Amino acid sequence: MIVEPYVKNYLSEHYGDDAYRTLAGYEAAGGFAGLKKAVALAPEQVTEMVKASGLRGRGGAGFATGLKWSFMPKTSERTKVIVVNGDESEPGSFKDRLIMERGPLEVLEGILIGAWAMGAQRTFIYVRGEYRESIRALESAVKELYARKLLGKNILGKKGFEHDVVVHSGAGAYICGEETGLLESLEGKKGQPRKKPPFPAQHGAFGLPTTVNNIETFAHVPFILERGVEWFKGRGTDKSPGTTLFGVSGHVERPGLFELPLGTPLREVLGHAGGVRGGRRLKGVMPGGMSMPILPPTELEVPMAEEFLSQKGTHLGTGGVMVMDETVCMVRVATVVAYFFRDESCGQCTQCREGTAWVHKLCQKIEQGRGSAEDLALLDNVPSLMEGQTICAFADAAAWPIQGLLRHFRDDFEAHLREKKCPFPESFEL
Amino acid sequence: MPTLSVDGIEYEVPEGRMLLQAIDDLGLLMNGVEIPHYCWHPKLSIDGSCRLCQVEIEGMPKLQIACNTPVTSGMKVHTKSERVQSARRGVLELLLINHPLDCPICDQAGECKLQDYAFEWGVTSARTREPRRPAKKSVDLGPTIVFDQERCILCRRCVRFCREVPKTGELGVFNRGDESLLELFPGSELDNPYSMNVADICPVGALTTRDFRFKVRVWFTDDVESVCNQCSRGCNVVASRSNNKIYRFVPRRNDAVNDTWMCDHGRMSYKKNANFRLAAPIVDGREATYTDAVKRAAELLRAACDGSGKIIGVASPFAANADLTAFRDLLARLGAGPARFSVPRGESDAILIEAEKAPNAAGCRTLGMLESGDQVGRAELAIVLGHTTTAEVFGDVKNIVLIDTHESALSVRATVSLPARTFLEKSGTFTNSRGHVQSFSAVVEPAFEAWSEADALAQIAAAAGIS
Amino acid sequence: MTPATRAKIEALFDRYPQKRGALLPAIYLLQEEKGFIDGDGARELAKLFELEPVEVWEVLSFYNMFYTEPQGRHHVYVCTNLPCSLRGARTLLAGLEAHLGVHGAGTTRDGRVTIGHEECLGSCGTAPMMRVDGQYHENLDLAAARRIVDELE
Repeated sequence: MIVEPYVKNYLSEHYGDDAYRTLAGYEAAGGFAGLKKAVALAPEQVTEMVKASGLRGRGGAGFATGLKWSFMPKTSERTKVIVVNGDESEPGSFKDRLIMERGPLEVLEGILIGAWAMGAQRTFIYVRGEYRESIRALESAVKELYARKLLGKNILGKKGFEHDVVVHSGAGAYICGEETGLLESLEGKKGQPRKKPPFPAQHGAFGLPTTVNNIETFAHVPFILERGVEWFKGRGTDKSPGTTLFGVSGHVERPGLFELPLGTPLREVLGHAGGVRGGRRLKGVMPGGMSMPILPPTELEVPMAEEFLSQKGTHLGTGGVMVMDETVCMVRVATVVAYFFRDESCGQCTQCREGTAWVHKLCQKIEQGRGSAEDLALLDNVPSLMEGQTICAFADAAAWPIQGLLRHFRDDFEAHLREKKCPFPESFEL
Repeated sequence: MPTLSVDGIEYEVPEGRMLLQAIDDLGLLMNGVEIPHYCWHPKLSIDGSCRLCQVEIEGMPKLQIACNTPVTSGMKVHTKSERVQSARRGVLELLLINHPLDCPICDQAGECKLQDYAFEWGVTSARTREPRRPAKKSVDLGPTIVFDQERCILCRRCVRFCREVPKTGELGVFNRGDESLLELFPGSELDNPYSMNVADICPVGALTTRDFRFKVRVWFTDDVESVCNQCSRGCNVVASRSNNKIYRFVPRRNDAVNDTWMCDHGRMSYKKNANFRLAAPIVDGREATYTDAVKRAAELLRAACDGSGKIIGVASPFAANADLTAFRDLLARLGAGPARFSVPRGESDAILIEAEKAPNAAGCRTLGMLESGDQVGRAELAIVLGHTTTAEVFGDVKNIVLIDTHESALSVRATVSLPARTFLEKSGTFTNSRGHVQSFSAVVEPAFEAWSEADALAQIAAAAGIS
Repeated sequence: MTPATRAKIEALFDRYPQKRGALLPAIYLLQEEKGFIDGDGARELAKLFELEPVEVWEVLSFYNMFYTEPQGRHHVYVCTNLPCSLRGARTLLAGLEAHLGVHGAGTTRDGRVTIGHEECLGSCGTAPMMRVDGQYHENLDLAAARRIVDELE
């Protein structure tokens, strides 16, 4: 059971309609117009269009999609591969699940446009194992595309345009959302991120040239092709055009998904979600999934786009907005955050393997009223040992939210030291 | 070749070579250029996970791991900056938070890279107050290796070794995060012909050999360079000695011969040095003095030395080149034909182990000796080095003068037997199967009087009046 | 491994440029047959994939959704990550555990249910939630969750 977004825009316009998941329904709603336009263009022109649109990856890092496509080797005898990251596991994020379940053909059309542009012959859609419904929806859509020869050989009658899609199920590991951890996992290994070089464009899935994009990223592509670069740039901000599906969770009246232009002020996003539950006061908001530092209530005017959020010491991430009201103990939040990263660290880099566990132990100790000033000083310092020094960005993602909580809610930590217990009796349970 | 600058000193290195490898190629790694590292090993694939080898590279905002950063022309590297030092301190502190501080009872102490690096670059006191991660102590991984899981720093060198060198792949790292553990597949053991190398490459005291563990503290030993004599590969080794006793062989790096490895059989062969030695001269079945033995040998030599082919020389592929040369020269003076020799053979593999189970068959061949040790004909007197040619071969031979290291059926059969020094008791060279002439040094003194074969031959020749 | 499972696994090989790509799907298939994968199962998979058994075991131990120990007939996982915790997931989990007589993660004495917590399952907008035998149940309260669990055979 997944609800459709409360606020819709181009991406989710038809998500309430079950037929939109079928080829007939999708085409009736105008589907595949984008692909048809794409194959009328030279592949490089398509990449140029995506570049010109300013589309940024929606998986968390916000990298320019067109630029990424252009890294794929132009001339290569080797099979070129598209990998779609549907391993959505960032706490607070649930948009890709909605897209896969309600608009699987948007994703697949986007993939085919990418395949045309990059000359890729194969796609692997890696979906987290728990998303059984998403896998079913994608597989059923893929089956239909093969039946209608929109996958396979000579797609849309274009000689030499061939493409195959495999939907692949993950098996429960957050780190497989990291693009090279995902590639390892796809290859049947532990999902431990790869050191770079080599980079995926040269040596990606199964050693083949590979481009990895997020589910939502591909879903935007057909609209850019169909409606044009200018149309796309007409929503969102200059640097972050288009909409995204903000997922609002936690202490709001109406948690859910809201498709809004990038750059929508945080206050407005929260407004769509009905504001803080029960008329309580807001204590803090994590604006981009759990990896991103928290914002205090004084920052509600910030436009929800990377270029603005980064000025506030945080990031857009996956647009998963987690809202916490005045009852919340921020040391508990830190403990939950630290536990998650401890549990999900792949364990290869020293700083991450050892640091995440240490941070969790420190948070737990302080939360239980057993902490000392020494422990708090360590909590100030240990995340800095982890930051920017590991194979992938996971250690950063583990360090940042803790640093953010200490920056904005130091009083909560100190109160625990003073009172030797948690001073927030109404906070959520741990 | 592009120029690489490390701490202001310029080097020429090939473009694209990984930084750490390039410095190792120059022979400077930890030998002028100090970049501590754990997971990287010159003969294994790059892992990149320990993060200790981070260096600062001009133009790159983040520190980079030297093991996986390709050298580019004009690259300027700093290994001593505060940022680098601080990153190292961080890694070492994090590795130590779960490492038991039991150095006083750890057998790796004295040759432990965690101990060494922590002293050199680490923090002086522990900040953590958290209990250490529980893990296994002293588990047998197989017949040769003992595992102290709590000391493991998860560098995965041993895992890569087993997958990449013997290709037996016994070890793995299970689970993830701080629950990661080095383990064997349930119910299996670490048992391959190269298993003990994992103890050498383990930077800490997690993997130790059952043979050496707790036998002697390494600071009471000194290391002597030698060569293994168990096959014609001639793996380079260092022998650790203390109080005139050999405690172990460990492989010594030679990229042209054995990389950094050796087989377990060769490694354990140091034990052969002390046992079943021919410890005193024997004449006609009775223990004799050196003077009497040399005298008797000289008489036999003189009697047979009439140029009519009554003397045959049988050499040993275990003998060193200097001894073989002395033997060849003496036989020539006696008018005997070239020496014969035979080589024991056995199993070989595609890694190190050669079929010829002796270190110097190539030396014998180079000196024109004939590989027909089993054909000694109807000689009256055989002068024999070693016992690779068995006693039965000498069926009709009337007299045998034997110079040998160990007791054998041949030393019982010989008319005169003279004790010889083993290769671990003298300096010399062996020529391996690929023609590398490799030198070894005396590691210990024999517990009894013994001469090199060359010295014994010279004594006999002098007594026989053959100059 | 039954011949049917084996055939299903072998049919997957062609989907990937290298056979090993089919390892995760193959583990799912074998797990479906056996409930969990023991040493023998790992050895069978290793043989089929031309791997060392330890490599299969590494993979099994890395992922949450693979089991190397016997499991209850049904799996009940409650998400306790932050968005769900903010909406009462931990109270829900504690209530379910008490209801089932299991304290902390574990299996009921009759082997009916294995219960535990999980990290974020992507239902933050419909929290709290639980995953029962792979199926999501969202917007839960304890009464509803108990009803669902009670219906399990």
